[in-house]
Amino acid sequence: MLNDIFIKPFVDMFSAPDFLLQVLWEGLVSGILYALIALGFVLIFRSSRIFNFAQGIMVVFAALTLVGLHAMGVPAWICVLLTLAVMFGLAVTIERVVLRPLVGQPDIILFMATIGITLFLIGLGEIIFGGENKVMITEELGIPTDSVVFEPWGGLLILEQKDITAVVVAALLVVALLAFLNKTRMGRAIRALGDDHQAALSVGISLQQIWVLVWFIAGIIALVTGIAWGARAGVSFALEVIAYKALPVLMLGGLESITGAIVGGLMIGMLEKLFEIYWGQPLLGGNTETWFAFVLALIVLLFRPQGLFGERIIERV
Amino acid sequence: MKTFTRIAVAATLGAVMGTTAMAEGLYTPNLAYRTGPFAATGIPLMNGQADYMSMLNARDGGIGGVMIDFDECETGYSTEKGVECYEKTKGKAIVTQPWSTGITLQVLPKSNVDEIPILAPGYGFSPMADGKVFQWAFNTPLSYWDGASIILKYLEEQGDLSGKKIAFLHLDHPFGKEPLPYLEKKAEAQGFELVPIPVGLKEMQNQSAQWLQIRRERPDYVIMWGWGAMNAGAITEAVKTKFPMENMLGVWWAGHDADLKIVGEDGKGYKSVSWSFPNPDAPVMADVKQHVIDAGKSQTNEEEMQGVFYSRGLVISAILAEGIAVAQEHAGKAEISPADLRWGLENLNFTEERLEELGMTGMVPPFSTSCSNHTGHSGGWILEWDGSKFVKASDLIMPDSEVISELETASAQEYADANAPWPVNEDCEM
Repeated sequence: MLNDIFIKPFVDMFSAPDFLLQVLWEGLVSGILYALIALGFVLIFRSSRIFNFAQGIMVVFAALTLVGLHAMGVPAWICVLLTLAVMFGLAVTIERVVLRPLVGQPDIILFMATIGITLFLIGLGEIIFGGENKVMITEELGIPTDSVVFEPWGGLLILEQKDITAVVVAALLVVALLAFLNKTRMGRAIRALGDDHQAALSVGISLQQIWVLVWFIAGIIALVTGIAWGARAGVSFALEVIAYKALPVLMLGGLESITGAIVGGLMIGMLEKLFEIYWGQPLLGGNTETWFAFVLALIVLLFRPQGLFGERIIERV
Repeated sequence: MKTFTRIAVAATLGAVMGTTAMAEGLYTPNLAYRTGPFAATGIPLMNGQADYMSMLNARDGGIGGVMIDFDECETGYSTEKGVECYEKTKGKAIVTQPWSTGITLQVLPKSNVDEIPILAPGYGFSPMADGKVFQWAFNTPLSYWDGASIILKYLEEQGDLSGKKIAFLHLDHPFGKEPLPYLEKKAEAQGFELVPIPVGLKEMQNQSAQWLQIRRERPDYVIMWGWGAMNAGAITEAVKTKFPMENMLGVWWAGHDADLKIVGEDGKGYKSVSWSFPNPDAPVMADVKQHVIDAGKSQTNEEEMQGVFYSRGLVISAILAEGIAVAQEHAGKAEISPADLRWGLENLNFTEERLEELGMTGMVPPFSTSCSNHTGHSGGWILEWDGSKFVKASDLIMPDSEVISELETASAQEYADANAPWPVNEDCEM
């Protein structure tokens, strides 16, 4: 037993390094997509202290809007622009109809409101687009669909071009987001709201504008995530459950840290894949990915309750 | 006082409307799942079921002169919601169509108390075939053990299975685990290695770990027990990992046209066992088009109508309708009770001639049921994806009834013992 836990997995890794690389690559792709979903959560939480339960359904809604518009004969790139317009409209509506009337209410009320938004978007999406699985317009968007095959150490490593595209686009999106938050006036306003609500309001930062902006950015992230996941296995409401994988990412990285969301996503993506392949499947019958990330996050929370990159809050009484 | 009066009026109206609804026809609720992660599988099936009943109502004025009150209660494939739907509908229902193995297992013990037949065509708990023990449950025309057996028989036709390795990729859910007892028994008897690979509900669209395991294990075949979003996830990963599609076979719920269209030509060679097959030229299709589709009473579309799942939905409702017709004839009345329907479902006889009368030639294999045989064990075809649609890749293959029957009897007895006191139909001769 001890051999199976402490020795055999590492022997397997080094005896088939091409396979280990494949496992790490698959983990990296999953991780970057988890990180993207977590980023949507973090942005909204930083600026409004709202834990946005609707981030998962926003991924589905954005992807469905994109393929739904294309099914109506709209050219692919126009669909992207129109979907962005829809996500902007959604951000404005959420701010105006849901959030503004709830300003000053306890956090739990705002959290419950995002559950309401989730249920509403599920119903609206099903009415407009139906529940059938839809094909993502991958080729129409110019995303390559072939594979790149390498033979490291005489083995086999297959990289899907659409996965490579997803990784590159996600990385660019993160860089752009960081630049926006650090280098622009609006970005600094978002950070200011996150640091101190009252102080930010007192210097004239508009809460309403910032909320619309962060929900719209979360919508853009949702669209990119929806395209990336949808290109892998189609677009359906099942995509929503993937958002739950962002929860341990947030626990691990910290609810307020963009760096935490990225590092947490990548860590969970790769570690859960390594654990599943080298320990979970041989010793536990597999399917450990459903719980591994949560256990890992709980262990981290035991030692760092604020997460790896979260702010340590000290309250003196 | 005013409030009290309003409540009293509402209650009276409710009671009157309820009575009216009862008088409107035979209430046959369907615990549907048009929403949630499994909706892609559910929608064409539910459309087919609803359209067949609408067609009977429009064309024949129902069955035996009484209209069918076909109603849906949405479960989203959730077991908890399914049980709620069962409780909500059982008051006036003559049948329960639970639409998930999880829900079926939950309502199975209740069926003895409420005495309402459970009709679970092609799903549910395989030992339900033993009608002596499961008096109120029917899984016509094939059980999951039958399906697994037909797949193994087909693979045997391709070559001896001894020494081969078969990966069993399945949803980590009662449905996915259902064929395991049969497959394990056959693996031992036939000398092949079975590698069960579970897929969690949250991992359905991200099966890279499962397919890495398949790559590492290098199985000769992959048998897939998938439902809903799991199917598309598995098939896209199979294409990605370049697993030979001709060596991948799925259960009948993993043979959905829409799932394969995602990979199109790349999915060529993928196979699925099936107990139903679309026949666009069948008279029933023309009747459905005339009385339901063209009349604007359907939620389906032309493309969906050509698919395997829509056609299966029609067959499922035809099984129920036939059970009702047989029961009406036996009971000598049109307004039958759940107990009458049970008799009807125990005396189904879908011969080639009867299928022709129903306008469904070739859409389902002939089968019959009895008080002891609640499945019928019709046999099934292997269908193959040709890049754009499913085509038949085999003649009708019958399941391995000797092994299955033995396993059914033992498992049914085990279930009855574990749930004692469990009423058994002593009048039924095996």
